[in-house]
Amino acid sequence: MKQLAPLTKLVFTVAVSIWAMLLTSLPGLGLLAVAQVVTLAVCGLLGRTYKGILSLTGFAVVLILVQYALGSELEAAIAGGLRMIDMATVFVILLATTKMQSLTTALVSQCRVPQEYAFMFTTALRFIPDFLAESKAVREAQACRGYTGKGGIVRRFTSYLALVGPLVLRAVSRSETMALSLELRGFGAGRRSFSTDVGLKFRDYCTLLGMIALTAGFTAGRIVYGW
Amino acid sequence: MLEMTGVSYHYQPGKPAVDNVSLCIRAGEFAAIAGRNGSGKTTLTRLVMSLIKPANGQIVLNGVNTSSQSPGDIARHVGYVFQNPDSQIFRDTVASEVAYGPEQLGFSAPEIASSVAEALEKTGLTALADVYPRSLSRGQKQRVTIASALAMKPDILILDEPTSGQDAKEKESLLRILTELNEQGKTIILVTHDMDILARYAKRVVVMASGAKVFDGPVAELFAQGNDIRKWGLRAPAIMNISRKLSKYGVFPVLTATELSQQIAERVQRGRM
Amino acid sequence: MKAISFENFSYAYPKSGVVLEKLCFEVEQGSFTAIVGPSGAGKTTFCLAAAGVVPHYFGGRTGGTVVVQGIQTMDSTMGELAKDVALVLEDYESQLVAMTVEDEVAFGLENAGVDRKLIPQMVRETLQLVGLSGREQCEVGGLSGGQKQRLALAGALVTKPDILILDEPASALDPAGTEELYSLLGKLNEQGMTILVVEHDIAQVLPYIDQLVLLMEGRIAVAGQPEAALRKMSEESLFQEVIPPLQELRFLLEKHGCRFGAWRCEADAVRELSAVLQEAGEVSRSA
Repeated sequence: MKQLAPLTKLVFTVAVSIWAMLLTSLPGLGLLAVAQVVTLAVCGLLGRTYKGILSLTGFAVVLILVQYALGSELEAAIAGGLRMIDMATVFVILLATTKMQSLTTALVSQCRVPQEYAFMFTTALRFIPDFLAESKAVREAQACRGYTGKGGIVRRFTSYLALVGPLVLRAVSRSETMALSLELRGFGAGRRSFSTDVGLKFRDYCTLLGMIALTAGFTAGRIVYGW
Repeated sequence: MLEMTGVSYHYQPGKPAVDNVSLCIRAGEFAAIAGRNGSGKTTLTRLVMSLIKPANGQIVLNGVNTSSQSPGDIARHVGYVFQNPDSQIFRDTVASEVAYGPEQLGFSAPEIASSVAEALEKTGLTALADVYPRSLSRGQKQRVTIASALAMKPDILILDEPTSGQDAKEKESLLRILTELNEQGKTIILVTHDMDILARYAKRVVVMASGAKVFDGPVAELFAQGNDIRKWGLRAPAIMNISRKLSKYGVFPVLTATELSQQIAERVQRGRM
Repeated sequence: MKAISFENFSYAYPKSGVVLEKLCFEVEQGSFTAIVGPSGAGKTTFCLAAAGVVPHYFGGRTGGTVVVQGIQTMDSTMGELAKDVALVLEDYESQLVAMTVEDEVAFGLENAGVDRKLIPQMVRETLQLVGLSGREQCEVGGLSGGQKQRLALAGALVTKPDILILDEPASALDPAGTEELYSLLGKLNEQGMTILVVEHDIAQVLPYIDQLVLLMEGRIAVAGQPEAALRKMSEESLFQEVIPPLQELRFLLEKHGCRFGAWRCEADAVRELSAVLQEAGEVSRSA
């Protein structure tokens, strides 16, 4: 999976979503979920992702119960839950096997997404560790001034301002600097190149063909046999 | 009085950030903690504030073990001034910003008013009491954070690199404020790698290297360590270095250009007579 | 052709007073310039103007011109100027835009449209230059402050700009880190790069610079060869707090009739002072 081009994996993500919509039978949807988990296991990524998958499953169970309680048929409710698992797991696979940088590259160079939008995504991710570090710094600074975050809801809410205030102001100035930095380093000035190779290889074409065949099969199955 | 005995702490197992440090800082001292970036200076002060708890050893503050105390409890005794004022300033006026700490600690309204007024006065901010603090210069913001700590009436003040990002004049005025506070009885602990400040203001220096305390003594003694201090990532002030290298001509070690120029001028004058 | 020339340049941000006022100032090709001055003197704006950020990015009002490598910044774009000038901002942590070290360094090359095959080699060389070899795959968020600073520098250097501008690059570094940084900048300067740096501690840059500028209230108060500039600051009591102790000592001794060369480092001072004391000792003994 890791050796496939990011574009192939993006197509795969779309394909799995389509399959999940096409399939209606419980065994079919269940099989799709199992197949994805097996894919993760084969790539040796299950150890890193199992927590996410488990919490997804938990969420799906809640979803099924809610649907059932609201009057859906049991089978339809379970199908809905499985569909959710199918579609969410494929994103887990995509993110676990693809570097953010390659994904942006594929989006910009092959899917013709404007680079400003694609990079907004990566810079947002870049923000997260900084934001966490900053929020720790603010929390510690205010703790040394007696901030506790305890008390009733009103008090807790007002005392929260002491954390949110510096954090927001700092995030604003950070994003301003980053925007400036992008321009300073010639972002969007002309035709850019990409340091990561996202070109399609033979195995990508094979995979793509396979996915088309499967999609066609599922579509035919649905129309002809009413799966 | 602050007493640390055999204190250790690690962020990752097997890599001690603070390694078996024992340290006693008495009331009224003006001490500096120096060392490379990443040597454990800030970890040491975070331990003092109870922001992190020691893995081994104990910290006793004014006779009380701090192991079960929160940073807010410690704040009554120790004011901590962080390096970056922007991580804590959030209110609309300097005065209300400074009042935040005393409010959190449950001071009464008249107590808050008087302690804020006193803190502003001591840091030279009285005239700026109603100003929006974010619009101030870096040096002024740093003074706001010092006032914020002072308003909680601590007996010890810890400052983490308080002079970074400031110009020479701002640095001088900041150190003047700290010296005055020290003379009025506050214990000052300065975390810094500004050797000039260290040499001129601190009476005692604690040097950290790879989490361990490698030196603890008077400033003059530190600069007599020769090559060791370079190994610790520190540099003796230029005038100190030069006067030491001129010792064979009877020059004794001094810190300021004025002192050294007087010594040399005297000798030259004598030669001319 | 001058690397940078300010011709009667004035600037005010939108909704601010005048920040830079009628600056006339030139930077020679391949020179090393240090800018000092009190807080709020306009040092950062000066850096931004030399890189074309002012007025392109911020707008505001301008007068006069800034010419960088023969190009009027006003007639050019920031992307165009980025080929000639690289800027390391004071808040270098926020300047970093990528997730990993190698992506960060490659970013400027990608923007310039450099062939993909050439990028890994250039990234590797630049990381080696700043001492971050072997950290290609590290996450930017996990680096220490000093490492982030060197990474920002690598990101600026990788496109091989003619001019490198740094705004207070040493503010978060310890003494050893500061020495390393300036010795690297000194080396780059020897290789022909024009360098301009804002620095509070003149003693750190004195061994390397050939021009010193004192900026006060948006004007150039003193500019010139470092020795002459420091002397003028001392004589006219202009922001003399920043005069390095070494020079302060020399100026004090000159009042006693001693004459010395320009000291650039401690060793220079020790050598000349030893000679003077030696002579004084011999004279007094023989008398």
